[in-house]
Amino acid sequence: MNKRILIVDDSFYMRTMLKNMLTDAGYEVVGEAANGAQALEMATSTAPDLITLDVILPDNTGLDVLKSLRQIQPSAKVVMCSAVGQEVIVNEAIENGALAYIVKPFSEEKVLEIVGAALQNDATEQTA
Amino acid sequence: MKTRDQEYRELFMAEALEYYDSMSRHLSELENNPNAGPALNELFRLMHNLKANARAMGFTDLGEVAHHLETLFGLIRDKERTFSGVLIRVVFAGVDALGNMIRAVGANQPMPEVSGLLDNLDRLVRGEAPLLEEIEAPETEEESNRKMELSDLVYIQVKKLDNLLNLVGELVIDRDRIMTLAQEIDNPALLATAQHLFRISDDLQYSVMDARLVGVGVLLNKFPRVVRDVASAEDKQVELTMSGQDVQIDRNILQIITDALLHLVRNAVSHGLETTEQRLQAGKPAVGQLTLSALTERDDVLIQVRDDGRGINTEAVRRKAIERGLTTAKAAAALPEQAIWSFLFEPGFSMADKVTDISGRGVGLDVVKLALDSLGGQLRVESQLGKGTTFTLVLPTSIAVKGALLVEVDERPYAVPLLHTDTVLALHPGQISVVGGVLVTHFHEEAVPLVPLRQLLYEEGDEPLPFATKTDMNGPQHVLVVNYNNRRLGLLVDRFMRQQNIVIKPLSKPLDTIDLFGGVTLLGSGQVCLVLDVPALTRLFLNKRP
Amino acid sequence: MAEIELASPTPKAERIKPAELVQLIVFRLGDEDYGIRIEQVKEVTVTPEVARMPKTPPFIKGIANLRGDIIAIIDLEERFRLRPAGRPLPERSYTVAVEAADYTLGLMVRDVPRPFTLPLSQIEPAPEFVQDSSTRDKYLEGIAKLPEGGIIIVLDMRKVLTPSEVMRLPGKGASS
Repeated sequence: MNKRILIVDDSFYMRTMLKNMLTDAGYEVVGEAANGAQALEMATSTAPDLITLDVILPDNTGLDVLKSLRQIQPSAKVVMCSAVGQEVIVNEAIENGALAYIVKPFSEEKVLEIVGAALQNDATEQTA
Repeated sequence: MKTRDQEYRELFMAEALEYYDSMSRHLSELENNPNAGPALNELFRLMHNLKANARAMGFTDLGEVAHHLETLFGLIRDKERTFSGVLIRVVFAGVDALGNMIRAVGANQPMPEVSGLLDNLDRLVRGEAPLLEEIEAPETEEESNRKMELSDLVYIQVKKLDNLLNLVGELVIDRDRIMTLAQEIDNPALLATAQHLFRISDDLQYSVMDARLVGVGVLLNKFPRVVRDVASAEDKQVELTMSGQDVQIDRNILQIITDALLHLVRNAVSHGLETTEQRLQAGKPAVGQLTLSALTERDDVLIQVRDDGRGINTEAVRRKAIERGLTTAKAAAALPEQAIWSFLFEPGFSMADKVTDISGRGVGLDVVKLALDSLGGQLRVESQLGKGTTFTLVLPTSIAVKGALLVEVDERPYAVPLLHTDTVLALHPGQISVVGGVLVTHFHEEAVPLVPLRQLLYEEGDEPLPFATKTDMNGPQHVLVVNYNNRRLGLLVDRFMRQQNIVIKPLSKPLDTIDLFGGVTLLGSGQVCLVLDVPALTRLFLNKRP
Repeated sequence: MAEIELASPTPKAERIKPAELVQLIVFRLGDEDYGIRIEQVKEVTVTPEVARMPKTPPFIKGIANLRGDIIAIIDLEERFRLRPAGRPLPERSYTVAVEAADYTLGLMVRDVPRPFTLPLSQIEPAPEFVQDSSTRDKYLEGIAKLPEGGIIIVLDMRKVLTPSEVMRLPGKGASS
């Protein structure tokens, strides 16, 4: 079965680009959230395998959303999306359970590599 | 042709202009209240997004200015700088420059020079004083000539368009009722008004449908990658040619056929086309040709998947159909090629002799048929052994109003799309016989099974239907003969109501899992009417017949 | 100005709020009072004509046209098995349209639902002992004890409304 991914980013442009990259690679994008509240709601209703999460969101910081996500959907893998210069937040995110991060601007190869690896991580954890 | 790059560019522009407007708004807010936290957070976020998007588009300078401003707003937010004095002027100059750069992108003009500005922003970040002449220079005339600009592009949720289409559909139904009433009442003024309403709502319906159209390319452009992947997994050489990306079609139709098309393309590469070795042996060029094309034919859109591979082995399909019990050997011998090929679209029918990773997923071509059924479309197959196969999806351009027959069972109306209705009959019990527990009548020298619609709808469980008898049949029986895949079935109903144009609304969650209904429609009275799905009803009958 | 205090840039400070109030829409099921947070309620209306939907469990009364939206109408008294003997739903009942993430559902109730405001702190997380019905406890957000006595059972619609939950057929768990 195709892995199901939820995209959280407040930029429509970024979401579209990510979505195209992921669907082209055969993933199923089950939702696109533009803010923290939508992200939590959609994570609950779609139960995705993986969530890409922008670190800067309008109604909440990405970190707060990450913490809530880890609680309501602990099985979903979270990959942070950040730009250069946000290493501090990214590190905190990793400490809070994010598996990896992608640095904007995205290259398709990088996105697929990181998403693939994060999902792989899922498999190894389950078999271990 | 609208390529993906163009699409990204339009999205980028629309969003950048929106960001720019918000930035200006938040800046004014900040000017009035330098400690406005939410405004600062927003400015930081907007700069961040603009930076990331600009860099992804390759607009380096634009990204740099946004990046510097983001850093600066971060510092202000963290109380390391204050929004005051000369900093305000540099920030305003920076945001103005962003506006100019965004407009330059939109107009395809060279980017303005920003090195002075970047230098000043750098100084502010480092805590040094900016060079003032750099700030003053670009202002003056440009400032007063600056136009207010809104993007020409609006992006809108498909849900809103769906809603609009449904409302227009209902309007059209009511319009038809008013037309009928006006003709009955025969008042010239009313008639004239009704005719005017008729024209306007026609235009409106056309406009709404038009707003939902997208280029087929939106979907086709996803295929080069699919073909490449499947071909490499199967170790085949395939050249993909595409055409007709501009052909316009309703976005939701495209959505519905996505899986079907994906299936046909995978199927063509993994089963249709031969390996390089086999091709060379057969005297064909080593590289297999796959063509994906879209074209319009009258009101329909045709999407074709054509390969120059081995073609359908009609005899093998015929044998398989007999093996699977879909037909008898005797009947199969008489069936024409086209009829044999249609077995390929039966559920679970697969010609794959080995299960490959790509297409042997236990899903047959029936998904293609199901998708087309749900749209009221058709599937055409042409094939020549050794030469290749062409699948043609015949699709409506728009999800429009459909003709339906309304029938009544237990005082409730049900709609049956005319696409699947053959005829209506009033039969005396004498014209009906019982064969093997099933009611049967003869129609055009064909034995047609009959079943009370009530039983199909309300009999719970998976057990076979009870053996039918004629004992409680009194007077003429109302039979609606439906037809699916050349299979006729007579539905016994309480009465026929009327024929009517309906707009089918999909059933919303959580009821959308019941496949017996293609959706619902609202009758003129506001009454809810279920639309029957004839393919699903036929399958249910076949599964449950005693 | 007092606003300067609020303008603190760290979002964490915004989360500390004085006595947060919750507004509920309260209705009766059987002899108990149930509440739903008002954010989850789309509208309250007299139950429109309901068309019976074949192939659905009995607690799904059917579908109805609510301002052009076709929604499923469900009967929670039947779902939770709270229907008092000899008291069928009255001819004129009310429907609370509640919103899930991506669809709307109508809850059929016997009396006019009423709004009710209370401090969030009054809602206690659901205790273990509320287990008189096989399914209801899963849907609880908590129980509000009212100062003047009486309780309101607060439902969390997002849990009631998952499609698999709504479509769960009787006999496959609920009535075994």
